[in-house]
Amino acid sequence: MQPAKILPKSAFPGWIDFLKRSYTVVGPKAMHGQTVFGEIETADDLTLEYNQSVIPPKKYLVPQREVLIEYKLDGTEVEAKFNEEATVVFGVHTCDLHAIKLLDLIFSKGFTDQHYAAHRDNTIIIGYECLTTCGPESFCRSMGTASAPESAYDLHIIDMGSDYFIQIGTERGEALFTGYDGVFTATEPDYARMNGTLSDKWQRFPYRLDVDVTEIPDLLAESYHSDHWQELADICLACGMCTQVCPTCYCFDIRDEVDVTLSVGKRVRSWDSCQIDSFALVAGGHNFRETRAARQRHRFMRKGKYQFDATGMVGCVGCGRCATACLVDITPIKTFNELYRRQQQQPEEVEA
Amino acid sequence: MKPKIAFFDFTSCEGCQLTVVDSLQTNVGLLDMVEIVQFREAMTEKGTDYQIAFVEGSCTRESDEDRLRAIREQADVVVALGACAHLGGINAIRNIYSIDEVRDEVYGDKGEWYETYQPRPIDAVIAVDAVIPGCPIDRDEFIAVVTQVLQGREPRIPDHPVCIECKLNETVCMYLRGEICLGPISRAGCGAICPKYGFGCVGCRGMISNPNLESMEEVLEQYGRTLEEARAKMSMFLTYQTLEEGES
Repeated sequence: MQPAKILPKSAFPGWIDFLKRSYTVVGPKAMHGQTVFGEIETADDLTLEYNQSVIPPKKYLVPQREVLIEYKLDGTEVEAKFNEEATVVFGVHTCDLHAIKLLDLIFSKGFTDQHYAAHRDNTIIIGYECLTTCGPESFCRSMGTASAPESAYDLHIIDMGSDYFIQIGTERGEALFTGYDGVFTATEPDYARMNGTLSDKWQRFPYRLDVDVTEIPDLLAESYHSDHWQELADICLACGMCTQVCPTCYCFDIRDEVDVTLSVGKRVRSWDSCQIDSFALVAGGHNFRETRAARQRHRFMRKGKYQFDATGMVGCVGCGRCATACLVDITPIKTFNELYRRQQQQPEEVEA
Repeated sequence: MKPKIAFFDFTSCEGCQLTVVDSLQTNVGLLDMVEIVQFREAMTEKGTDYQIAFVEGSCTRESDEDRLRAIREQADVVVALGACAHLGGINAIRNIYSIDEVRDEVYGDKGEWYETYQPRPIDAVIAVDAVIPGCPIDRDEFIAVVTQVLQGREPRIPDHPVCIECKLNETVCMYLRGEICLGPISRAGCGAICPKYGFGCVGCRGMISNPNLESMEEVLEQYGRTLEEARAKMSMFLTYQTLEEGES
């Protein structure tokens, strides 16, 4: 790995200006008491000390609405559309880096998703080390996502007070300093300070799950027939906010939008939600997850087990966004803990 | 041959037809695809040969019913245009009073001169093939529905709550701002424009097919709002539905 860089905070605004010359730069911004990712003009626009953003930075890799192909209805032209905008996504929390790593695995499994790949190729990810927990709904420590995964970032920033310690993840990340002379190569004492910063942070990250993350897939498998799903369904509004804000939800709908002259059309992919009535509606009017109980179960099975089975990573990164968004207080912490409590209460099955 | 389309208005402000005129300004191509034979808001001619009928407004008189049935008889496709036609809408607020009280309040001692009855959505009178909801309608959705009808497809409008679009906008939840909002039980498709500008959803696009009303009541309580406040909010567009629900 390339040696890390040291960027004095006084040089930070200049570096952002430098990046702006070549890239669209987006990052966390304060908006009405919340944090949202949006385009920034100068370093002043950034709010790096933020709690979780409303919608994760995933939106730059899997846009809410994306044109996949454009075509003529007479069949003479079909053209695939790919993202070409070079973007730097600044200040991605460690949980969201884990989520991006999971999306990378999902979208490259089997046939690589060309549209996702185009976004990924043109999007430079700059992580930002969390030094304190986002809030009572966040449980990244329990999920093992409070540290940055190496493969998901191009650069990763650690705030060390008067300067930033910047880990280099990729060559293209390192290239963001090419031609910029306000940055230094980290020395041994810098590494020692960085290690001190990281080891100090853990006391500020409580464990919030009673169950160990490695046990979650089995816990979900055993909870498939639990009564708890109906209990969640009784209060669930099926509003879909939980999935809209989730950094690892990627389910989408694809529709053709034809011009009113019926001559040209677009095939558009947009976010879908497993929590809404029509999600599992198929031809003939059949709906194989008609009840809210079936949909809530599906959501948690996917987070806790199905994605683990498919990728080796648990599908929840503990950011707590869904819990913050939910009006009826359905939270992954309470759900995982309740399923675990019920599992522990059941008498041990005696091996024959 | 181009399909012939006609616009009709019943009791309404005609704002949805104005939105149609507005949408034609940016979608001039539609005029190459159809022949508009009747559209009081925009032209003088009144052709009676048409295949697609757009009906704005609610049915508020017995004599409206004959006119609606004649439209149904003629048209292959009838589309309800906007909240009045779709839901009964604002006109139906008066349904909480008896028809005599309403006559008396509005017309005084001339009450008997005027024909009126309890306002209702047009699907209470005739079969409706498609709906373009909202107060007013969304101009893009109008174009999308027309396009789907021209393709011979059944128009699809969203059947999920406004919350989905509100979150996409990253709007602060109205309940966190101490405001009441019908978003969790109301049909999306409007881009959650009201919460975006600081006003809680009033459900002008109708309720979703499967709202969790019991849980909605608990949300109201949890956020310090009352059922009465919610009912007041719902009365704006959903009085007809609320009263129907109460009777069944």
